[in-house]
Amino acid sequence: MAKYRDASEFLEGKRSGLRQITSPEGVVLPVELASYGERAAAYLIDMAIWLGITLLTGLIAALILRGPALIYVLLIMVFTAVLIRNLYFIGFELAWQGATPGKRVLGLRVVDRRGGPLQPGAVVARNLTREIEIYMPLGLMLTPFSGPGVWGRLAILAWLAIFLLLPLFTHYRLRGGDLIAGTMVIALPKRVLLGDLVEAKLRYRFSEPQLAAYGAFELQVLEELLRARDTADSRRLRREVCEKICRKIGWTTPVPDGETMLFLRDFYTAERAYLEREQLFGKPRADKHHAEAG
Amino acid sequence: MAEDDRPVTNLTLKSSEFRKGREAGWRALENLIGRLERRGVRDLSVEELQSLPLLYRSAVSSLSVARSIALDRNLLRYLEDLALRGFLAVYGPRIRLGRGLLGFFTQLFPRAVRQGGWHILIATLALLTGFVAGFLLVGLDESWFTTLVPSGMAGGRGPGSTRAELMQGELFAPWPGAAAAFGIFASFLFSHNTLVGILCFSLGLAAGVPTLLLLVYQGLILGAFLALHMHRGLGVAFLGWISIHGVTELTAIMLCGAAGLMIGGAILFPGRHGRVDNAAIRGRFAAQIAVGAIFMFLVAGILEGGFRQLIASTPWRFAVGGTTGALWLAYFLGAGRRARL
Repeated sequence: MAKYRDASEFLEGKRSGLRQITSPEGVVLPVELASYGERAAAYLIDMAIWLGITLLTGLIAALILRGPALIYVLLIMVFTAVLIRNLYFIGFELAWQGATPGKRVLGLRVVDRRGGPLQPGAVVARNLTREIEIYMPLGLMLTPFSGPGVWGRLAILAWLAIFLLLPLFTHYRLRGGDLIAGTMVIALPKRVLLGDLVEAKLRYRFSEPQLAAYGAFELQVLEELLRARDTADSRRLRREVCEKICRKIGWTTPVPDGETMLFLRDFYTAERAYLEREQLFGKPRADKHHAEAG
Repeated sequence: MAEDDRPVTNLTLKSSEFRKGREAGWRALENLIGRLERRGVRDLSVEELQSLPLLYRSAVSSLSVARSIALDRNLLRYLEDLALRGFLAVYGPRIRLGRGLLGFFTQLFPRAVRQGGWHILIATLALLTGFVAGFLLVGLDESWFTTLVPSGMAGGRGPGSTRAELMQGELFAPWPGAAAAFGIFASFLFSHNTLVGILCFSLGLAAGVPTLLLLVYQGLILGAFLALHMHRGLGVAFLGWISIHGVTELTAIMLCGAAGLMIGGAILFPGRHGRVDNAAIRGRFAAQIAVGAIFMFLVAGILEGGFRQLIASTPWRFAVGGTTGALWLAYFLGAGRRARL
């Protein structure tokens, strides 16, 4: 039986982050979850920006107040830092449709887990929860005076570890905030539409039994091969595939070296026409094992 | 290419014809989304904005058709991505920060609080139970005070404190000036009560039992303090002193506890959904309550730091405490009744 679920799995490897959402129109759309590393990187970028803004406000405050008022400056910074980080995350995710600058750099988006519209309430909830997940424990940890004892610090450390590692243990790679807001973070792909490989005029003709030797899986792997850049390597591979196909379908007239591409494209066109017609008639062929499977 | 005299067959594929007919629409949508993602809504004209949902719906229907008639993998994946990006562009939030926050505080937060009626009642009962127990215990025997109240919180107050000490050092201590008041305000961020509130909420994940225990304990401490002051004839003064910020703060703790109980209840009694799903459904309300409560702690911090020592008369303190209580009640009962979002 087939080793792979489909051609995409064979060509791109098994994607463990693949999930589905159903759009309001009722169409199932595959989405790719953002990886832990991508999210961490996006978060670090955002934190760097936040730190920069906070230091800047501190600098401005210091310039305005001047003199021996360092403690005021620190207090202003502590307060504005909290305000800025919350407004920053919520503001950007609302205005940029689920992306902060860090997420944008890495091509990540926050979406509703069930495929509904991303609610403003969810954005607010998922970001303010970060206060509980990270900043509160971190702040407590770093309290210089009358801080928590050794056991307290250990408990806080455990707390931090649980929340930081949560995305590794949940099915949708959810942070605490995502869990509660019903959101998830996905990586946004950008694939371009390439030209149609179908030839209008065919030099080679294939009979139906010859075309029945293959299924959609082989067709799409062939598609990838035809779309590959023209290098010595891909030329050699095409030649091999061409010979293999000839053997399989019992093509006896030799295909000249210069016509490998022409033959393959003609075969691709004929094969796709045949398979699409079969699929339309309710007889889809997944791969070459179709006949055995019955 | 060299001339070829081999016979030529013509073959038309339904999927190719389909693609030829629809491709212009896809390209147009791709262009609009690209500009929207890079430069924002304002880059699009009114006509373009109006065409966006139409182009998106046609791309989604193209995807459905392509899935049934086409085997071109590149085309299918392109359409899947286009539909997803279109979905995000059409259904993503496009709201300014101000409106988002306004919506939260005028609609979502008070509504979520009204959702939690029973949970709030249970949380209040837990707090009251602790309060009565603490009051009775310390009322009967003051040595209980040191057992119940951790020394860090007691701050030197205890069975040994005299009436004068409590009067001057605590209840009617002079206003320390803007700097220290602001200092207290800032230290609110890491203050004990905020932490308790947050713990109450998050420990709801452990089926709500620790939440209840924590609430009872908070009540216990408060009752112990009241009894200590009562014995020195300062009961009313103490209540006035604490009411300024306490009304807000205790309400917030109660709400956090109620939110924790909501999550605990959702996990204990998942109903028709799975436990994780149910926690997410109920959790949304619970999180909104907790998040709103954090801002109540902020208000309490301002009241505590700024006003508690500034207002040195007990009747005025009760007036401030009572007013804040009435305002919160009106807010939770009245705000966001009319559906707008």
